[in-house]
Amino acid sequence: MCALAHYFEEAGIATATIVLVREHAERMRPPRALWVPFELGRPIASPNDAPFQRRVLTAALERLLVADRPGTIVDFPEEDPRRRPDGLWAPPVMVETDHLRGSSHAALAKCFLAEVVRLKPYHEQVLAQSGRTTVGLVGCPVPALADYVASFLTGDAPTGLVGNMSAALALRFAADDLKAYYLESALATGGRPSSRQLVNWFWDSTWGGAALLAARAMALASNDDRLRRIGERFLVPRARVPSGERAD
Amino acid sequence: MVRLTDLTPTQQEHLRTLDCPGFDTRPFVRGRALKARRIAVVTSAGLLKRGDPLFRGGDPGYRILPTDISPTNVLIGHISVNFDRTGFQEDWNVVLPLDRLRELAHDGVIGSVADWHYSFMGATDPRAMTATAAEVVERLKHDGVDAVLLTPV
Repeated sequence: MCALAHYFEEAGIATATIVLVREHAERMRPPRALWVPFELGRPIASPNDAPFQRRVLTAALERLLVADRPGTIVDFPEEDPRRRPDGLWAPPVMVETDHLRGSSHAALAKCFLAEVVRLKPYHEQVLAQSGRTTVGLVGCPVPALADYVASFLTGDAPTGLVGNMSAALALRFAADDLKAYYLESALATGGRPSSRQLVNWFWDSTWGGAALLAARAMALASNDDRLRRIGERFLVPRARVPSGERAD
Repeated sequence: MVRLTDLTPTQQEHLRTLDCPGFDTRPFVRGRALKARRIAVVTSAGLLKRGDPLFRGGDPGYRILPTDISPTNVLIGHISVNFDRTGFQEDWNVVLPLDRLRELAHDGVIGSVADWHYSFMGATDPRAMTATAAEVVERLKHDGVDAVLLTPV
């Protein structure tokens, strides 16, 4: 972003850059920067909180009015109110952590597929209420995506799902789509869950999270270089990789 | 905040040591009052229209998002899985604040919202983006844009 700000400004277009990692802006000094104290992925923060988002935008755009020295970074003073967990939020499905451990891959695949079906009415509810889903990178229906991931768990050689997309890429983007399906479904029960509540639920308390962790393990053991790379970096966030495997 | 200390040590190290290019110049464009400005959003979130080609690692390209696009037709296709997507999944304005910008235009805070907005995919060497950034500049100018809001992830 900071580099793009430089390129655009050099070409004669003024920029106002929202900055999440202050250290980067300090090094690259975009012309006008607003550092926001929000988590990665949430530059405007607080979903469906129009007044808060408007304050963020106004603070960023007002940087365009100021004729101070280029490279100044201003700090937004408010924390994201959605960082706080919602004690009243309850997930649509819940699996005890102990039940997730020790399952055979065949059993895991079966439970995962059943869970995807259980979530369908929740996802449909969210879609009806919001008019929107972010599922669609692969372009296949969710059951097909779930079948694809399940096939990895049962050791069946998966074939490419879409045109000339390789098995590795198909796994990678199917995982993204399935995560979106789960996390969108989790909004059906109402409340204002924090991102941490949502991702903790997915990775710790669903067959879906367990399935992706197992798919990662299988990808890492694969003879396919591309599949191993996908398993290493693109299925499971670093913070969720089992601690024994993490570099830190 | 993204205080680096909130992240795992590996993530901290990765972000702390990320290669950030330096620049010899400090361009600074002055312009009209904010209430007269035409604003576009450019994001590094790897957003794309439903059906667009997916971003690959190191991709210096961009996707074009028409201002009247339906929110359900905007997907997030960034290659990294290490940032939160639940905010965007709940409300596209968390990354692509088009509804908020339209409200600001309606209220006279800004002049207008551009007809087109753009997304790059931020896990790319910025030095590889100079040509595609130049393309976007020409598109922005053709659209009459005189100010860009840049949103990272």
